[in-house]
Amino acid sequence: MNGMAIQGIGLVGGFGCGRDAFAAALSSGAAPTRPAPFAGGEIPALLADTAPLTRFVDKRALRRIDHFSRLALLGAHLALEDAGLPVPERARLGLIVATGYGATATTFAFLDTVLDGGDALASPTHFSSSVHNAAAAHTAILLGITGPNLTVSQFEMSVPSALFAAQGWLAEGRVDAVLFGGVDEACAVLRYCWHRFFPEPSDVIRPFEFDRQSAVPGEGAAFFLLTGDSGKARYGRITEVRQGNAAVRPPLLDEALLYLLGADGHRECGASYHRYLPASARCAAYAPSYGSLPVGPAFDLVVAGLVCRDDRLPSGAGGEALAGRELCCLKFGRGEDYGVIRVARD
Amino acid sequence: MKHPVPVAVTGLGCICAAGKTLPETLAALFRGERAPAPSRRFATSYPTPFPVFEVTEDFAGRDDLLRTSLLALAAAGEALADAGWSRESLRPLRVGVCLGTTVGSAMNNEDFYREYRQGQEPSLAPIRRFLHSNPAASLAKEYSFDGPCQTVVNACSSGSDAVGLAGAWIRAGICDLALAGGADELCRTTCNGFHALMIASDAPVTPFDRRRKGLNLGEGAGVLVLESEALRSSRPARAFLRGYGAACDAYHLTAPHPDGAGLKRALREALTEAGATAQNIAFVNAHGTGTVDNDRVESRVLAEVLPNVPFLSTKGYTGHTLGAAGGIEAALTVACLELGKIPASIGFAEPDSEQRAVPVTRTTTVAGDLAISQSLAFGGNNAVLVFGRGAR
Repeated sequence: MNGMAIQGIGLVGGFGCGRDAFAAALSSGAAPTRPAPFAGGEIPALLADTAPLTRFVDKRALRRIDHFSRLALLGAHLALEDAGLPVPERARLGLIVATGYGATATTFAFLDTVLDGGDALASPTHFSSSVHNAAAAHTAILLGITGPNLTVSQFEMSVPSALFAAQGWLAEGRVDAVLFGGVDEACAVLRYCWHRFFPEPSDVIRPFEFDRQSAVPGEGAAFFLLTGDSGKARYGRITEVRQGNAAVRPPLLDEALLYLLGADGHRECGASYHRYLPASARCAAYAPSYGSLPVGPAFDLVVAGLVCRDDRLPSGAGGEALAGRELCCLKFGRGEDYGVIRVARD
Repeated sequence: MKHPVPVAVTGLGCICAAGKTLPETLAALFRGERAPAPSRRFATSYPTPFPVFEVTEDFAGRDDLLRTSLLALAAAGEALADAGWSRESLRPLRVGVCLGTTVGSAMNNEDFYREYRQGQEPSLAPIRRFLHSNPAASLAKEYSFDGPCQTVVNACSSGSDAVGLAGAWIRAGICDLALAGGADELCRTTCNGFHALMIASDAPVTPFDRRRKGLNLGEGAGVLVLESEALRSSRPARAFLRGYGAACDAYHLTAPHPDGAGLKRALREALTEAGATAQNIAFVNAHGTGTVDNDRVESRVLAEVLPNVPFLSTKGYTGHTLGAAGGIEAALTVACLELGKIPASIGFAEPDSEQRAVPVTRTTTVAGDLAISQSLAFGGNNAVLVFGRGAR
């Protein structure tokens, strides 16, 4: 096993749709927020538009597919398109979706039907679409993917945790490729909770001000086509995935790596970066471009892929050359749990 | 497909409506006892109260975690004790947790949402509890584990998938020991969802029976301790995880493929991995939910892929515990393989003319070194586990 080669990338978020839109946000340093309402108020957020999905899927087929699944579908289609590889045999293609919260808007829409009409009028459509693996199911159905199908929900650790499965499937020869993505939506109720937890809203994430609560809710999807082959990796190769809890055992963080921090303006998590990163480590953080969402590490992995392709950091970060270094996407969650995804350029 | 190294199962834990421990549950199964009843914990407004399989344990004083996590902790505690591990002895090890769930990852507190809709300022306590109750994370936190941690949300195959995935962690050396299985609590929202889909029965569930009317929901947790051979050394194994197969129907959000396409592929993959044929299989613990579609498809596939292999559904005793089902049924499968017998598939009385295979109707002695536990799920997921006899 030569790690996992990143062969295709597809993403959508508050920055727009696709690699170019993301690259533009990275260059400018942040994506612009817009007011996002909830019952009784609004907060700044980075919300995603899935309109470009009609380029891949007929509008009629999308009628009963909710925003969460549309995010996944758009990311998945873009990643396959970007890979430009011959379509793998669908039974040999695995599908993995990582999500922090799942289809929350549809979950609450289902509760609306119960609260409005009573138990007997609960909506079967909303219920079946609220199940966490609905996005993976829709994606499998519309793309005809009959290999193993997995959805993982581990809050901020969803992406590194789910990558273990991709690694295992490829290493054990269960599949030839894995379509892997992180998806989260910022529905109105989540925005309300956000407003209650953090009453002073922020308009821009300040990732390196670890003591300051500056998180801005984001949503979106970032997908990858991963292969286990030893050929050229278009966007670099994932060489290591690691999870742990720093409160139990401090993480071993090599100061020679270039760190892409998942610091997204949450004070509760920010302290861990300060505490555990080697003082001399070179670090960058890009959450201002995609927002704060549990699957943020998927977007950091996109950054890592683009850095591997271009052999330098985005111009907004000074365009520093990679210079032979490996990248390390590092995410700390609540309670000092952490995830590490190391990426190397071929 | 490679032939992965078998992974030792050294401990089992189970809590469900049939019993608060695995021995209690097994005893109830072999006595042919079950007691589905309307929920004590919540009410619905349906004219007929739908029976559910509820765990009697109330976990008094533990309102810091969702019930799903508390069920997981109970089963994990039993499994670790069964394997001979204390908290202290686990400390130097790299321990992973891989648990399936559905309700345990759903942010669906009805009271909170009702107040939100009414423009009130609801207490954030339910949200905080949800954020502290990711099943795998709460188990890892309880024991101060720092290995891989994964909550699988593959609907009703979550528990089986979690066991299969954790097996790969052990083989890859990602951890020395893994707790794997599933946990789920009964939930009003979920009950309403299954009623809305019209696949819940207002009578005790009758898997594979001609008159089956749907499932009864249940709750519980089932956890297996998986260990690397280096760690297990000369200690006994209750069983070995010999094969895992997973495949997606890519057909419908809630209904299985009519020909069981994904289930057949998952079965064949698991059998190939185990280096086994139908002749080697002692019995199958089927998914057997009691819904019209599931049981028709599953019995057809069993007749085709595993002809004449005895099978049962333990959901007649436990209810459908959703994300926990794969964990509970894996534990029961291993225990029955050890005993060399399986209980009657309770609820089954009259064969369905559409089905070419029928479950066992009495306690049945089984021969063979391998047994299968399988799960089908919303989203078209199919997961199959093959267990082999252990080594003392």
